Amino acid sequence: MPPTRNPSALEVVVKALAVVAGAILGIYLLWRVRGLVVPVVVGGLLAYICGPLVAGLERYRITRGQAIGLLLLVFASAALGLASLIRAGAPTEIEVLDLKTRALRKVNDRYLRLMGLDSSPGGNRIYRLVHEDAALVMDRANRLLGMTPEERAKFARSHAGRNGRPTGPADAALLDDDRSNLETLERRGLAAADSERPETPRSEVPASPGTRERTPLRLLAGILSTWIVAPTVFFFLLRDTGEIKRSFMRLVPNRLFEPMLAVLEDLDRALGSYLRGVFLECCLLALALALLFAVLGIPVLWAVALAVVAGATNVIPYVGSAVALLLGLAYIVLAETVHPLLPMVTAENVALWLVGGILLVELLKNILIEPVVLGSAAKLHPLVVVLGVLGGGILFGLPGVLLAIPTITIVSAFASSASTQLKAYGLA
Amino acid sequence: MAKTPEVAEPAKIRLALRGLREILLPRPEEKLSVDAASDASLAVFGPAPQTAAGKRGRDLVAFFQQVQLLEELGEADRKRLAQIAHERTYRDGEYIYEQGRPGVALFLLRSGIVEILRRRDGGDEILLATLEPPASFEELAAMGCDVVRWTSARARGPATVVALGRPDIDVLSRTTPVLANKLLRKLAEVTARRLQLLVEAQFLNRTEQGAKDAADPQSQRP
Repeated sequence: MPPTRNPSALEVVVKALAVVAGAILGIYLLWRVRGLVVPVVVGGLLAYICGPLVAGLERYRITRGQAIGLLLLVFASAALGLASLIRAGAPTEIEVLDLKTRALRKVNDRYLRLMGLDSSPGGNRIYRLVHEDAALVMDRANRLLGMTPEERAKFARSHAGRNGRPTGPADAALLDDDRSNLETLERRGLAAADSERPETPRSEVPASPGTRERTPLRLLAGILSTWIVAPTVFFFLLRDTGEIKRSFMRLVPNRLFEPMLAVLEDLDRALGSYLRGVFLECCLLALALALLFAVLGIPVLWAVALAVVAGATNVIPYVGSAVALLLGLAYIVLAETVHPLLPMVTAENVALWLVGGILLVELLKNILIEPVVLGSAAKLHPLVVVLGVLGGGILFGLPGVLLAIPTITIVSAFASSASTQLKAYGLA
Repeated sequence: MAKTPEVAEPAKIRLALRGLREILLPRPEEKLSVDAASDASLAVFGPAPQTAAGKRGRDLVAFFQQVQLLEELGEADRKRLAQIAHERTYRDGEYIYEQGRPGVALFLLRSGIVEILRRRDGGDEILLATLEPPASFEELAAMGCDVVRWTSARARGPATVVALGRPDIDVLSRTTPVLANKLLRKLAEVTARRLQLLVEAQFLNRTEQGAKDAADPQSQRP
């Protein structure tokens, strides 16, 4: 065996400095192109999820290119179908005004009942406690949901006949709601203040020097120029048959070859378990919420739609239940009536039952669903989850919030596996 | 030079085999070196092919055709396998893997010479065999979990090996199960055949030797 030469202290220092300089340069470059990091990660994750689908199609003697093309066709069709459904279901301008009028009436009525102002001018104990803060919130809600004079004119034209009388009972109810809202606005002193506020034409607002106006077209161009990376990464990663991994492994020194193979295997297992677990968790949560909404009287189609949206947002921890609560309350406020299946649930207390039901579903999710479905795949401390999600949001906005937990899972799995393998191979 | 790794205990692996109550085969006396052409090492690593060293496949797919482990695969299967294979180059004296460490890949020798060594308790290494292309070795690492290497492999002169990792073969099981099935069947066949040859080399040769001694006219009774 040939004798080996111990590296000199100078060589060690030079190597260490080179590694540190390389790491700093890498971090700096990554920070400069951080706008591309999220689209690349999103494209990569989607490719990882769709990889087994393509592999499954290849087993039926479909070539890889054809399988990817078929997958893209299915995605495009689904997106177009969803877009047409949304367009078909989207309310018209008059329908939006009707919704706003109905919602504002219900919000004001429920506020009066909650504060006891419908039975006594001085209100109840809750009112005396929180009326200053609640008044600010209610003023904001009234401004938000109130109609401008032009909108009111359109509203009146669509629901009153030429003689100014409503054309049907539904129109009569809406006009009654509008009258009630106007009284509330006058009572709160908002109507006069709003009509006196002059509207400043946008063109007269001087633009500060050195800034470009963010028109919708510019905004779209900015988003497309960055997010065009995501489908590109998605396509090329799906098309890859191992060349990327082989190219990466060529950079690994011989003594780290087998440890790196083992680490990549552990990462693959961790990410796969996490994604499968989260998908199952979202499905089970959506099922539980759909049942809850249906029991509380929300029509089945709406119950399923709201539950699917809430379930999908559960990829961000703790957000799924919050979204379910908001959507459920919004439906209860906006809907004409609800028909609960349970006798003790009435239109008056359905909101309270909704809150209680969602708390119960969240408890079931934490105690039963998560331990069984996720297991030890991505068991992170709740503090790590909260800090990670907040940090991701600060750094990268909404995509950062969505990708925080998968990123933490991958980094944690890599650190754990690398430590184990380096010890096993006597390198640490 | 990497620090001397701790020696694994292959005996633990052998005695962990379920259903194996006792090995009746007497262990050979330990010698300082084992002739690479001896029956035992030939049984474990196969004979050095006479003509393969001269044949250098122009590419990986052509090389796979020469490997005994993969000779039954069609060209499409060999191409698929080439997509997951890793080609590694080692310097003279560089270890490809070390005794006592976990194993996650099997190796096919593409060029050069590789020495298979076994480290004794005292720390000195004995040469078990030398391999030349297109030998395959450490097939067990591609099949089983928690495999611990019972030998070391070192390059004598520059050597190139092609590694097939166990994780990549696991992925192959999901994406192309027919190919993975062929490969794993062949791996099992090679491993079982080597065990049979090893037993024959150790046991049957001794029995034949004993029979010869018994048949010796000088030892026969009138």
